[in-house]
Parts: sequence; structure tokens; C-alpha cells
Amino acid sequence: MTVPVFAIVGHPNKGKSSIVSTLAEDESVAISPMPGTTLENRGYPMAVDGDVLYELIDTPGFQRARAALEWMRSHAVSSVDRADTVRRFVDAHRNDPRFSAECQVLTPILDGAGILYVVDGSRPFGEDYEAEMEILRWTGQPSLALINMIGDSDYSEEWNRALGQYFRIVRVFDAMEADFNRRMQLLQAFGEIREDWREALHRALRVLRDEHARRRTLSARVIAEMLVRMITHIRRRRVAPDAATERVRDELLKAYREDLANMEPPCRTEVEQIYNHRNVERHEPLVQLLDDDLFSRQTWVLFGLTRQQLITTGALGGAAAGGVIDIAAHGTSLLLGSGLGALAGGVSAWLTSDRVANIKVLGHPLGGEEVSIGPMRNINFPYVVLGRALLHQRMIEERNHARRGPLDISRQPVQSLVDVAARRRFEKVFSRLRKEEGYSADLVASLAALIEKQIERQTENRTKHTAQ
Amino acid sequence: MTHSSLLGDLIDLNEVLDADRANELDARRQRDRRIGRTLQGQRNKPIRQLRAWLHEMDRAARRNTGTQGARLYHTLGLALLLAGVLTGWGLASAVLFYDGKQPVNIVNAVVVLVLPQILLLLVWLLTALPVRVPLFAHLRGTFGFLNPGRLAGRLAGLFARRETQGLATLWNPDNAAVLAPAARWLFSFWSQLFAFGFNIGVLTGAVFLITFSDMAFVWSTTLTVSNEAFQQWLTVLAVPWSELFPQAVPDAELIANSRYYRFEEGSLSGGLAVELGQWWPFLIAAITCYGLLPRVLTLAFSWYRLRHHLRRALCNLPGAPELLARMNSPLISTLAAEPEHAMQFAAAGVAGVPHGQAQYALRGPVVDWSGACVEAGEVAARLAATGIEAQEFLPAGGRRSTEEDRELVAALCRSKPEGVAILVKAWEPPMLDFLDFVRGVRRQCGHRRPVIVLLWGGSDGVSASDRDTWQLTLGQLGDPDLHVEAVGRPA
Repeated sequence: MTVPVFAIVGHPNKGKSSIVSTLAEDESVAISPMPGTTLENRGYPMAVDGDVLYELIDTPGFQRARAALEWMRSHAVSSVDRADTVRRFVDAHRNDPRFSAECQVLTPILDGAGILYVVDGSRPFGEDYEAEMEILRWTGQPSLALINMIGDSDYSEEWNRALGQYFRIVRVFDAMEADFNRRMQLLQAFGEIREDWREALHRALRVLRDEHARRRTLSARVIAEMLVRMITHIRRRRVAPDAATERVRDELLKAYREDLANMEPPCRTEVEQIYNHRNVERHEPLVQLLDDDLFSRQTWVLFGLTRQQLITTGALGGAAAGGVIDIAAHGTSLLLGSGLGALAGGVSAWLTSDRVANIKVLGHPLGGEEVSIGPMRNINFPYVVLGRALLHQRMIEERNHARRGPLDISRQPVQSLVDVAARRRFEKVFSRLRKEEGYSADLVASLAALIEKQIERQTENRTKHTAQ
Repeated sequence: MTHSSLLGDLIDLNEVLDADRANELDARRQRDRRIGRTLQGQRNKPIRQLRAWLHEMDRAARRNTGTQGARLYHTLGLALLLAGVLTGWGLASAVLFYDGKQPVNIVNAVVVLVLPQILLLLVWLLTALPVRVPLFAHLRGTFGFLNPGRLAGRLAGLFARRETQGLATLWNPDNAAVLAPAARWLFSFWSQLFAFGFNIGVLTGAVFLITFSDMAFVWSTTLTVSNEAFQQWLTVLAVPWSELFPQAVPDAELIANSRYYRFEEGSLSGGLAVELGQWWPFLIAAITCYGLLPRVLTLAFSWYRLRHHLRRALCNLPGAPELLARMNSPLISTLAAEPEHAMQFAAAGVAGVPHGQAQYALRGPVVDWSGACVEAGEVAARLAATGIEAQEFLPAGGRRSTEEDRELVAALCRSKPEGVAILVKAWEPPMLDFLDFVRGVRRQCGHRRPVIVLLWGGSDGVSASDRDTWQLTLGQLGDPDLHVEAVGRPA
């Protein structure tokens, strides 16, 4: 089975590179308003574990189509040898800089590539396209015309009529706005131009659909991990017992805010990379805490035990020691040993805890004051973070690789989880995280599954909305 | 696969995955898929895949955080075991102390050496239940700090370079959602190790005293308890071992003879003292049955649960499911095989003034390139506004041949015009075909005669980007008398 190869051909500046960039998910494709930006053919093989299923070739486009066609017409013997004439043209001008672009365009086509001819449907058809379309017809290769809608005006009907005379299949495709389904539809159309390419393209479609689903799963997992980290995050600091509470509180709150703010960007970058977006400039405001009342201060003494726990430990230890005396006295002491031991243990723990705190073992103080902020207990916080993350994921999933502008999340309304049932399911997980209980290794997996469902549900809603 | 190596791998994997996030995802995809393809036979064994991946990564950067963590885990476990043995031995020595004067009260011995353990075992059972039962969660919060395993955990924190590294990774709050169950069972395992050591200590202490000293056991009560009733209680207590070791069940004679009130202090005769020593099989059996065996079971259970949760944690560490997906999913590549060699245009512009401000005094034919002039009347009116009077529009480019173009240029230049105006579609890029035409005009008409390329934007007007495109492209010709002007309303 031959690997389907498609040469993207057309006038310069009509979106060839945008279409390649979109289909190949490659941001490195130079998209420039300057004609002639693309100097040489550039291949974009779609490979699965190195096994190429199809290849797109971005060509520079014709530059002197009229002159080339004139040469072919003057050298053609009859209409049946047109393809050979084109081949002779390429052979004759392979080293001629004048027809360098024409040779670049025609070489893969003569080697068997299908033709994807791209025009701008937002501009009127012109007679200057006829020469190159005629040359493409002469090659005799299977072809498909794409009307790329670059601007707001719509001349697609006019183009349809003109292109219909040269190409069997004509499709309208907006390279900048095309979502995943439209890209898949276009690839499916590629399979229609030649029968023996259909199987490879169907396999490619299956693989790409699986990959699309996998990307959502991975994105949901990455978002879930970030959410869990943000909700459960605790900032602790050991301070001197006489440290000013206000100052410590402000410093810790600032550090906590920074921690949370630093957790979102890596997640965003990871999601972007999952969708093959490597250089997205993101505009997003920092997440707000919603609630500053997260501060707690407690004395900790001896291996992290609180003063109360230490007194209990001392009392129990004293009671145990006194108990031995009670046993030795055969119970005649009426548990006085245990009682006094508990009292002595508890009181001495209470009295000495501060001194114990200052003792250092291996450079670590045994005790002191510990202040902490977190975990985030505000009930709305997880939904705000989740909403922002879902919005970013949606924008990235919908974002075309042909688009090069910044991703402005700040201007978009944050999605709300309006579905009460969904919110209830999320709340079950969030409350476990907030209360720091019920942890299990698959808690993140459960949250990721909920997020993935949410992503799918929102896509369905959008599809319905678009259909209406 | 031992669970200590599992623990070490868990610590290492957490560290490696954390550091790996700094690498580009594309590089990670390629690397992980390469490793994953060598492990296709273990596709449904995620733990093996993760460990194999980790070992592959370790070849590049040898680390020992996990090894150190596992070593600390062993050290603390051993320390707890020893502490348990010493505590048990000490308690047994205190409880079974006999100087020949005061016989050991067998009830006291059993109550001290066995009953607290049974009570603590019940507490362990309660706290081992799922924490979602609020009462049990509260119990753990209240008494959990007394757990020797947790104290060992605090100790482990002292040995870590940072509180989030090594073994302390397990109770780092940031990892709690995934690692808390494993940490919980680690503490449980440690505490049961201590309890197991305690029972070993009690038993060895008791056996030592029984073997190397002459002991006498009695029982007594101020309550009205008959010997028969007491024997019934003991028989019930001895049910677990009565079939296996009938000699460890006290008979009626021993019970009757060892009732303490019947004796006066210090009056034990040699023969009776030997008989009273026959309580020891019961004591050893009671400690073994109600102290040691349950702890062996709880220790084994804790070990099993620890192993189970370590395995689950390994597969659920942040980044681990993503890693498995990368290893087991086909690597799909759609990117260009080679870097692009794109043309960089030098900023060499051609003459042009802001839209609508150009003024010429030109009268003559205007070349209509590729059918730009669809509505001649409107175009002529717009041109007039810039001082260009279009007497006629001469078609060029498009469907006409290059030979016809050459003839047109020759005829045009023969009339020695003051300048040549060429109307083009602003939205179409300037092709080399057009540049050939402009060069032909310049060649035929001579230098210093202005050639004005008029950009026609149709109903949409001329966009700034189209205007820039034309100016920049024509600028490559280096012709100082070449002008680019937009006609019509701006876009």
C-alpha cells in the first residue's frame, strides 16, 4: 500500500501554510503575509510510532504559472501526453532559478502526490488563477480544492463554480477556526480523492480520534493533580514564641498566595503541550484566594506534638510508672501510684515543654511555635480554579496551530458548573480534600474522571449550541 | 519485589517525576514511548513498567534518595522492634518479680501483660477501619499521636534533609491525597512491629524468669468467687489452646491449692511451691494467644496493607498515570520532518505616502493587471482623486500571454509616457510574474520615469497588511522610481 502524500498548492498568501499548520499541529510553520515566504517544499509526515500513514507537503506555490503553461503548451504533442509534458518541463527547468517555485510544486505531484489546491474564499476569483489550475489539471493527479475563508467576505459560491471546472471535490475550510471535527472531516475528504488511500487515511483518523480522547484524559488528570495540590497545600513556618502574629501572618499569607499562583502556570503549560502548543503567550490574572482566614498558630513540642498532646503523653507515662508501684503494692495503694504518676507526668510536661522546645537534635529544634496557612477551606475556591482550568483547556483544544496571537483568558467568562448533579459529585471529592480525610490513592483519579466528563459535557453543549 | 524496594522506588519515582516536569513534553513523549516499547510484554503491569522506567532513568542519573529512605525505614523498624523487646522484657521482669516471699498473683500478671494489649488491639481495629466513620476518625485524632509508628515518623523527619524528601515524602501534606493511606499503614506496620517486639520481650522475659528462677503463682480475691467459678473463667480463657496444649489449662486442684488466702505469708513449703509454679504454661499460652498471635496477624495485615497502598500510590503519584499513558500510547507525530528555510525580507521599502494623500499629475493609459479593473468608472474616479487621469485601461497578465504583455509594454513605452500606472488587486500577492512585468516596463521605458503600482482594494478597500506586502515585495527590486499607492477607500 502506498503512503498517501498530499501537496498543498496554491497562490502564495492564501493560507496554504495555515492549513498545513492546522492539520499538522505545527506552530513552526512560517505564516507570513509576505508572498514567497515558503521557499522549499516541507514535508509533514503523520507517523504512528514511526510508521507514516500520510504526508502533507507544503509547497511554495506557483510564481510564473503563465510562462510555465506557455512552455508546456508549446511542447505538448497531444492532450494524452500532458502529464509527460509537465514532467519534461520539470526536467528541463530543474536548475533554472526562474522556475524554481514551479519545479518545487510539481515534483511531488509528478511523484504521485495528491493535490490540495488552496484558495481564499473571502476574495473574488480572478483570471490569474487559471494558468496554475490548468497546469495542475495537466498533471492528471487526484485533486481536491479547499476554499479557505481568510477574511469576512464570502465569495465561496463564485469560487465553487470556478474550481468545479478543474477539481472533482471542492470543500470550504477555515484553517484558523476549524475545530477537531472539521479537521477530521477534511482528512476524510482526502481519502475520497483516491480509492487506495482510503484505508490509510481511515487508520489515521482512528489514531487521531484516539489521541484526541487521550489528550482530554491527560488534561483532566493534569488539572485534577493541580486542583488537589492547590486545595491541600499548607504553608508552615516555625517561629520564635514571641514573634508578632500579624507580621508572621502577612508574610505567610503572601508566601501561600505565591505558592498557589505558581501552581497554575505549570499546569497550563502542560495542557498546552498535550495539545502540541509550545509557544502560547498567555494572559491570565492571578487566582484570588477568596478567603484569608486560613491562618492557624499552635505550639508544637517534641517531634511535632502539641502542648496538649505532650501533657497527655506525660500524664499517661506517669500513670504507667505509678501503675508499676500499684502492682508492686498488690493494689493496696488504691491506684494512688497511677493517679500521682499521671499528675506528676502531666504537670512536668506542662512546665518543661518550653525548655524542651529549645533543645536541638541533629540541628533541628525539638519544638517551638508553628504557624500554618491552609488547606484552602473556602467552598468556592476549587470551583473557581476548576472553572479557570476548564476554560483554558477549552480554549487550547479549540485553538488552531495556525493562530499565533496571545491566548487571552482574562477576557473570557469563567465557566460555571451549572449542573447541580455534577457539582454534587465534585463536592464529595472537594470536601474530602478540604477536611484532609478520606484520602485514597485513586482520589485524584476520581476527580480526573469527573473533570473529563465535564470537558465532554461542555463540548456536547457547545456542539448543540452551534447546531442551533 | 520487597516492599522496602517498593518504598524506595516510590520515593525515587516521586522525585524523578517532579524533576521531569521541567523537560519539554515532546522530549518526554519520545523518551517514554521508546522505553515503553521495550516493555510491551508488561503492558498490563503498570508497577513493573514504572519501576523499569525508573531504573532506565537511574542509569542516566544515579540517585539514592529512595535507597536512603528504605534504609531509614528498616532502621526505624529495627529500632522499634528492639524498643518493644526491651519494654516487654522490662515489664515482664517487673510483673513477674518474685523474691521467694510474695508469690506472683497470676491474675495481676495476666491483667497487666495481656488485657491492655487486648484493649489496644481493639483500638487498633477501630482505627484500622475506614476513616470516613466520624467517630473512628476522631479516635485516631485523639490517640493517634501515641502511636509508636507515628513517633517513628517524626523521628524520620529529623533525618531527612528537607521535610518533604526521602521517607518524609510519605507524609508531606502536598502528597497527602495520594500517599496518606500508605503513610497510615506504614505507621501501623511500625506500631505493630513495636507491639510484636513487646510480646517477644514479654515472652522471653517470662521464659527467662521461669527457667532461671523459682517462681510461684497464686490467685486471690476479696469477692465471693468459688474455685469452680474461677476455673470456669479460666477454661473459657483457655479455649483457644485447650485442645492443643491441655497441660496449659489449670485444673481444679491447682486452682484450689493456689488460692492465696489459705496461706500465711512466707509459709510455702517446698512441695507446694513446685506445684504453684505449674501456672506458667497457662501464663505463656495466654500471652502467646492473646498478645503475640494477634500482633503477628496485625503485623502481617499491616504489612499487606502497606504493600497494597505502596503499589497503588506508585501508580497514582502525580505524573505517573501520564507517564504510563506516554509509555503505552502510540507516539503520534505530525510535525515537520525538517526545520523550515523561510525567506526573510529585508525592510527595503518603495516610495509611498499615507492613504489618500498621494498626488500625481499623470495622464494616459493605465495598465490593468489580471483584471483588477472590474468597474472601470469607479476606478477611474478614484484614480482622478490622486491626479491620475486614466484615458484607457490596457489589459495585461491574467489570461494574456507573456508575449502579449511584452508587446503591450513595448507599445506603451514607445509613446514615451510621463510615467506608467499599473492597477493591481491589492489582495493578491505580487508574484514573480508581475515583478517580471515591472522589470520589463522599467527596461523598455527607461529610468527616472515613475512607475506607479496602484493597489485596488475593491469593495473591501486596501488593508494596511496588503499595502505593506506590496511595498516590501516591490522594494526588493531596488527601484527608486517605483511607487506603490492605494486607491479607493481604506479597509
